Amino acid sequence: MPTHTSFDAHGPDRRALLKSAALGLFAYTVAGIETLLSPAQARAQGARFTVLSDADAALLEAFGEALVPGARAAGIAHFVDANLARPHAASLLTVRYLDVLPPHDAFYRAGLAALDAASQALRGAAFAQLSPAAAKPLIAAMLPGTISPWHGPPPALFYLAVRSDAADLVYGTPAAYARMKVPYMAHIEPPADW
Amino acid sequence: MASQQASGRTDAVIVGAGAAGNLFAAVLAEAGKSVLVLDPGPDWTASDLYSSSIWSRRLRWGGPAIESTGAHAFGAGFNTGWGTGGAALHHYGTWPRLMPSDFTMKSDFGKGLDWPIGYDDLRPYYDRVQDDVGVSGDAAAEIWRPAGAPYPLPPLVQFAQARLLAKGFHALGMKTAPSPMAILSQDYKGRPACLYDGWCDAGCPIGALANPLVTYHPRAIAAGARFVHGAHVTRLLPGKTARLASGVEYVDSTGTTRTALADMVILAASTISNPAILLNSTGGDWHGGAGNSSGLVGRYFMTHSIASVYGFFDDEETENYLGVTGAQATNMDHYGKQSLGGGAFGSLQWQLAPTMKPNDLLGVAMARADMFGADLTAFMARAVHHLAVMFGFGEGLPVLENRVELADRSGPGGTRTPRVVHSFAPESVKVSEMAAQLGLKIITAGGAAAPWSGPMATAHMMGGTIMGTDPRTSVTDSFGYSHDIGNLVIAGPGLFPTAGAMNPNFTNHAVTLRSAEHALARWLS
Repeated sequence: MPTHTSFDAHGPDRRALLKSAALGLFAYTVAGIETLLSPAQARAQGARFTVLSDADAALLEAFGEALVPGARAAGIAHFVDANLARPHAASLLTVRYLDVLPPHDAFYRAGLAALDAASQALRGAAFAQLSPAAAKPLIAAMLPGTISPWHGPPPALFYLAVRSDAADLVYGTPAAYARMKVPYMAHIEPPADW
Repeated sequence: MASQQASGRTDAVIVGAGAAGNLFAAVLAEAGKSVLVLDPGPDWTASDLYSSSIWSRRLRWGGPAIESTGAHAFGAGFNTGWGTGGAALHHYGTWPRLMPSDFTMKSDFGKGLDWPIGYDDLRPYYDRVQDDVGVSGDAAAEIWRPAGAPYPLPPLVQFAQARLLAKGFHALGMKTAPSPMAILSQDYKGRPACLYDGWCDAGCPIGALANPLVTYHPRAIAAGARFVHGAHVTRLLPGKTARLASGVEYVDSTGTTRTALADMVILAASTISNPAILLNSTGGDWHGGAGNSSGLVGRYFMTHSIASVYGFFDDEETENYLGVTGAQATNMDHYGKQSLGGGAFGSLQWQLAPTMKPNDLLGVAMARADMFGADLTAFMARAVHHLAVMFGFGEGLPVLENRVELADRSGPGGTRTPRVVHSFAPESVKVSEMAAQLGLKIITAGGAAAPWSGPMATAHMMGGTIMGTDPRTSVTDSFGYSHDIGNLVIAGPGLFPTAGAMNPNFTNHAVTLRSAEHALARWLS
């Protein structure tokens, strides 16, 4: 007999989704007022998180920045948070490609907890407190899956998911292309430049 | 469970608005049949296809979770589709034909399976489809190509990356040819030529790439086929006897369970969803699932292996961001099933110089997934202008244990969601390993610096509802007709008994056109 429920029969209404993604911005709450911002703007303005706790978001920023320099300022935590708040079918996160079963907020939370616990066990400090040199061997052990202790989703999957989120923001936007002198050449401009 | 009937009975209900579903709908509707197409995803239009690797993720499966497991788990999240066009909406338009040897593997080698038809049975359909949708290429340059009409369009433009990679093949005495692409090199039948901006993966809003939005979907609509989106088909409904289906049950976007009654049911959902729907159909006497007297529904699921080979050309701008996402050139010197030797068995197809965007699963940053921090920053600065890549697509043999089965998670309407279990046969793993070794020799011979190969990946999905002549060893006949249920046709690459090493969509179209016309002729007679 089925033991889990994974289907939301009252799925997302596409028109509503497109409306929420109008201009490609996500809805964030700043000073009690909901407004449409890019993730970088949301971070700069201190927008509240919807799904992630402040502590999880801070850890995600630290991890994302360690993986892809520039991810923190680009708003990786706000980007991930806003997508986790959307219905699965509307999510823009690479985790969709990695065959991680939803709900993906649980995946991120569990991965962050495992990362911090591993950091405490192996380096005696929270991950966000580690120097780049101290964090490097810990991170390098994630893709091959040799990091230990690790109590969470497969470390390689978590590493790839967050690294891809960071790469999306740092390398995948029209502004990033311009910075790298790569022509973007859009047929239809994406609705946001993060 | 109480359900409401969809308005009116139709001649045919088609499950899935992907490549096969749209082609079937066009053929039947143009012959005057009333056609209802049910699809769980959104009603995409060209204006939804933003040029962005990030936004393109909306085009992948967004329905009930698909589990993927096994020693070589299939990449379901990346390969599946969602909404109008299905996986073909974001496919890359690389359209080689299968080879004659792909149809007779068991007879020739005692391995795998035979098709109930041969290449010559499909050849006229390949020829007609390529004329319908526009395929660009150079038939004469493809020295490996089986007999068939020349392409209706000249090959696509090639950029520096293709030229640089070809040097290695030529240095080793190997041939390259422009890849056969269902992308327009010239304006064709009212559609514009490709602009080479490399956004195929995000969907082609200008319609240069033959995705269903610009091929058979408009024809189906014009002929009166009705499409309902947000409709998750849950099961087939038994007819008066176990030999007949009366229609399908589905859950609509409001969560209401409905039925769609029809004289003919065409399952064109996907290689994963088709067997899942059949296995969930346990009404009447279908205790083991509809159309499953053989016990083979879901079995022989296949995918291709990918060996990725990279190298730098530091003195050249490789223009790796230009072109098309599929490939600019091809080589099939090792397509023979035993040509690689060393314990490998199966075909190999090289695809050279796909567009690489800086991010995303097949992008530049993922080429060295092990890099992070300052090392990644330095790598990116070099790679976005000097990296080149080629992919070796390897054949995955049909293995009985590779399957789509039902998991213990609940889906719409009380169904169970699918799980894909996949492990390559040892001979297939060897194909990919040897392809990686060969690729490193090739790219080194071409002068690339610091070459490396990536981990084996998977692409494309085939099998699970295989065709055959014997009802005990196959699910359908060569036209996709269920051996068990007289008015049920299954469509899509799930019918393939072997996978070859070719991207499946051209063969999918050829098989589907043959099936649809046969169904129509049978109907009219």
